[in-house]
Amino acid sequence: MDRPLGAYSLSIAYMQDFDVVVIGSGPGGYVSAIRSAQLGFKVAIIEKYAVMGGTCLNVGCIPSKALLDSSEHYYNAVHSFEEHGIDIAKPKVNMGQMIKRKAGVVSNLNAGISYLMKKNKITTFHGLGSFDSAKTVKVTKEDGSSEVISAKNIIIATGSKPTILPFIPVDKERIITSTEALKMKEVPKHLIVIGAGVIGAELGSVYARLGSKVSFIEFADSMIPTMDKTMGKELQKSIAKMGADFYLSHKVTSAAVKGKEVTVKAQDSAGKEVEIKGDYCLVCIGRRPYTDGLNLAAAGLTADERGRVAVDEHTLQTSVPGIYAIGDVVRGAMLAHKAEEEGTFVAEVIAGQKPHINYNLIPGVVYTWPEVAAVGKTEQELKAAGIAYKEGSFPFKALGRAIASGDVDGVCKVLADATTDEILGVHIIGARAADMIAEAVVAMEYRASAEDVARMSHAHPTYTEAMKEACLAATAKRSIHS
Amino acid sequence: MAIEMKVPAVGESITEVTVATWNKKEGDHVKLDEVLCELESDKATFELPAEAEGVLHIVAKEGDVLPIGAIICTIEAGGATASVKVADAPVVAAVAAPAPAPVAAPAAGPTSVLEVKVPAVGESITEVTVSVWNKKTGDSVSLDEVLCELESDKATFELPAESAGVLEIVAESGTIVPIGGILARITVGGSVAVAAPAPAAAPSAPAAPASSVDATYAAGHPSPAAAKILDEKGISAASVAGSGVGGRITKEDAVAAVKPASASAPAASAPAAATSDRTRREKMSSLRKTVARRLVAVKNETAMLTTFNEVDMKPVMDLRGKYKDKFKEKHGVGLGFMSFFTKAVCVALKEFPSVNAKIDGDEIVFHDYCDISIAVSAPKGLVVPVIRSAENLSLAGIESEVVRLAGKARENKLSLEEMSGGTFTITNGGVFGSMLSTPIINAPQVAILGMHNIVERPVVVDGQIVIRPIMYLALSYDHRIIDGRESVSFLVRLKQLLEDPARLLLDI
Ligand SMILES: Cc1cc2nc3c(=O)[nH]c(=O)nc-3n(C[C@H](O)[C@H](O)[C@H](O)COP(=O)(O)OP(=O)(O)OC[C@H]3O[C@@H](n4cnc5c(N)ncnc54)[C@H](O)[C@@H]3O)c2cc1C
Repeated sequence: MDRPLGAYSLSIAYMQDFDVVVIGSGPGGYVSAIRSAQLGFKVAIIEKYAVMGGTCLNVGCIPSKALLDSSEHYYNAVHSFEEHGIDIAKPKVNMGQMIKRKAGVVSNLNAGISYLMKKNKITTFHGLGSFDSAKTVKVTKEDGSSEVISAKNIIIATGSKPTILPFIPVDKERIITSTEALKMKEVPKHLIVIGAGVIGAELGSVYARLGSKVSFIEFADSMIPTMDKTMGKELQKSIAKMGADFYLSHKVTSAAVKGKEVTVKAQDSAGKEVEIKGDYCLVCIGRRPYTDGLNLAAAGLTADERGRVAVDEHTLQTSVPGIYAIGDVVRGAMLAHKAEEEGTFVAEVIAGQKPHINYNLIPGVVYTWPEVAAVGKTEQELKAAGIAYKEGSFPFKALGRAIASGDVDGVCKVLADATTDEILGVHIIGARAADMIAEAVVAMEYRASAEDVARMSHAHPTYTEAMKEACLAATAKRSIHS
Repeated sequence: MAIEMKVPAVGESITEVTVATWNKKEGDHVKLDEVLCELESDKATFELPAEAEGVLHIVAKEGDVLPIGAIICTIEAGGATASVKVADAPVVAAVAAPAPAPVAAPAAGPTSVLEVKVPAVGESITEVTVSVWNKKTGDSVSLDEVLCELESDKATFELPAESAGVLEIVAESGTIVPIGGILARITVGGSVAVAAPAPAAAPSAPAAPASSVDATYAAGHPSPAAAKILDEKGISAASVAGSGVGGRITKEDAVAAVKPASASAPAASAPAAATSDRTRREKMSSLRKTVARRLVAVKNETAMLTTFNEVDMKPVMDLRGKYKDKFKEKHGVGLGFMSFFTKAVCVALKEFPSVNAKIDGDEIVFHDYCDISIAVSAPKGLVVPVIRSAENLSLAGIESEVVRLAGKARENKLSLEEMSGGTFTITNGGVFGSMLSTPIINAPQVAILGMHNIVERPVVVDGQIVIRPIMYLALSYDHRIIDGRESVSFLVRLKQLLEDPARLLLDI
């Protein structure tokens, strides 16, 4: 540190000093704070918002799931109760109540995280954290006052924000991001969703279920394009049943609001232009790592060309010793559970332990209905890597449990090494796929073969039997029920 | 394809070797590790084992003098041998072609696994300690890149990669490995077979189809918890036998795993370990063996003899009695005898420089400084840390160095650096009650002072028999460069300084 020793030691005199300071209270940040506290460190966490939990809890995973479940109930009431023998008067959407319930879910969990901070004796600072030096962080509170705290280790967990493109003027009224889509006052008549990735697919289906006409415009040639191609194809079929339109391989060129109408123009791959008019346009084209206001420069850090904080693969330490970064602000999948793993990882690294993260085995889930869940390699990836593999699939429509409940859309697909039979990838679309994928993660962490899983007893009748049957199919094309 | 076998780097100072005898003839079929020839350096002779199986073509004849790295012969390897360039390395490793690897190595296919073994580094060296790995398991290494440092009791040397590929460490830092023992494996071309950071991402090349009983592709794969535990213990997954399904390493396996101290030692010593009723055999530790070898070498290679004298310790003891509390108060260390002896030795060494010298070839190297080695007993045996430039230290400075070094010795924390380079040694057999002994020189030094116990003896002072605390002193010295007059005078001078410590102050 190149400041005069006197000044430094003077400021030390009144500065609160911590072993670990975490900036950001999302799933990465709060988990790293708790794990650090468990390891005996003196820990502080800084959150610029009044509530804890970050994107995930406040405007991400949790509120979106709350609305997905509410809209699913509504959709079933309208479409399948009658078939199940339940006659009710035609249900109506009460958007205000739906949003209120969601808010209740979120604040319940906000309080839960605050409780966990207290329980683990973690000091919470509400305010904007910004680097003052590589060892000190300034917290600027809402009222403008500020305080500098020092730390032996600093963990950057500042997450991400929606990506905004210059030619799509987001006004947060008619042209909105996921954050606004989680607190709508009315059900859109025609929702145009730009980007049919995970978030677009989820929020698009919320409103499709609630009765909106939904049009997806996607640059790639399928929905959820980063996942196995079968998944995108099957998901599109299911969502199309709700009357959604798809403009795949289309590039948005402009969007404009006039009164209550949004006009979006897009070009297909041949350059032919389409014009789509709706009352809302939801922009879900991705998220960017968020380091605004963090003053990385004071710590001797810079963000890379994509806004990420670069970290060492083995330690998640940045180029400055003692400063680490985790979650959406670093490379890798922008997922809450990935951020959590990294939170635990960094705390243990600081404690001198040698934890592992197997990035290949972080599952990806889309909470549409049917749900999509996957772990490991996609078929496309295996082909590109030149790995010889076998595929075993099992359709949900042949599954007793699925037929009993009426959720027959879906397929479970297992990819195994052609020679060793080791499971290399599992891709499921179907009811409860999100919960089923855990089995695949466990199996793959232990490098199980498809036959291993096929020989394990799976309760009947359950959706998990699809996994067993797909493994049988992958092992020797010998599923029992298809 | 042919493998070129080169003269390995056999030691720090050796630049060339002579081919002494060929055990094999041109055109012979040689087996992996079979001794091909004997090489001689000015320090040692050693054997050159074959790096591969195949047909031998001799390049250097008996009597040829070759620089390190020169080609000695080539081996035309048959068929399946991996195409590996053997580096000009201190390495006499084997290309693991048909040799059965302990872990289900890919039987055939695009990848091959090269075993990195401890090279024969010199005649007398039977094992080495892995000091540091520069690379981690899973790292890609390029040809000739330095993988790790190996330490023998004589020297440390670097081990370059014999081939580009992905490294898997077998012997972690700190492990003692015999010559020829496996240090690591390099997977050449293709993905890692074992215990890579992302195992599932890099499935191994074709192996036997999975069956639930036999060892499978997943043999040696640690569970997530096991992986963390092994890493923290610094144990490579490859050295743990998995008890889980298909040879997987379970958490319990990892918890129970211990560092392979000397991978082959237990097996090798198994017959020897047999115990009869009245005798018990134990394998010598490498430190013990080193000590043994050195002591014999000193006896054989020097002209060592010992001269004695006695010191009346009363003056030093009186002085100490008078000032020890003040000394402790002021300097924070106790005032012992060691500082007086060290100080006196430094004065005497200045006056008799040959006692503070060493022999290098046909030259005598004199030291203008006194780096005094002090013998300290440590848990693993005697160690000799060095007090640097003791001639410039005050008594308090010497005492605190002694305390510091002895403390580190007890905790086994002395670095090699701290134990090397002394110019003269002081050993104190008195702490164990020795009355008189003849210490052995600490080579390459040429003299050693032995202190002994202090016993009240009747002595004659000014014609009167009085009781005085007496210590016998012994100086063993190398008569090749120290004459009797010098050694005796050195000891007499010591006696004079200690019996009248004011001289130390006045420098007279
Ligand atoms: C609509 C939506 C749905 C999603 N659904 C899922 C899902 O179902 N499953 C899933 O795994 N992931 C989901 N995600 C992604 C998930 O939310 C993120 O991957 C996750 O939140 C990343 O966690 P994080 O800790 O890295 O950062 P964040 O959760 O983004 O938290 C960062 C926190 O840091 C704070 N902060 C930033 N800068 C500062 C500063 N300078 N000082 C103080 N505080 C600061 C922010 O206010 C924020 O609270 C979803 C995202 C969205 C938008």
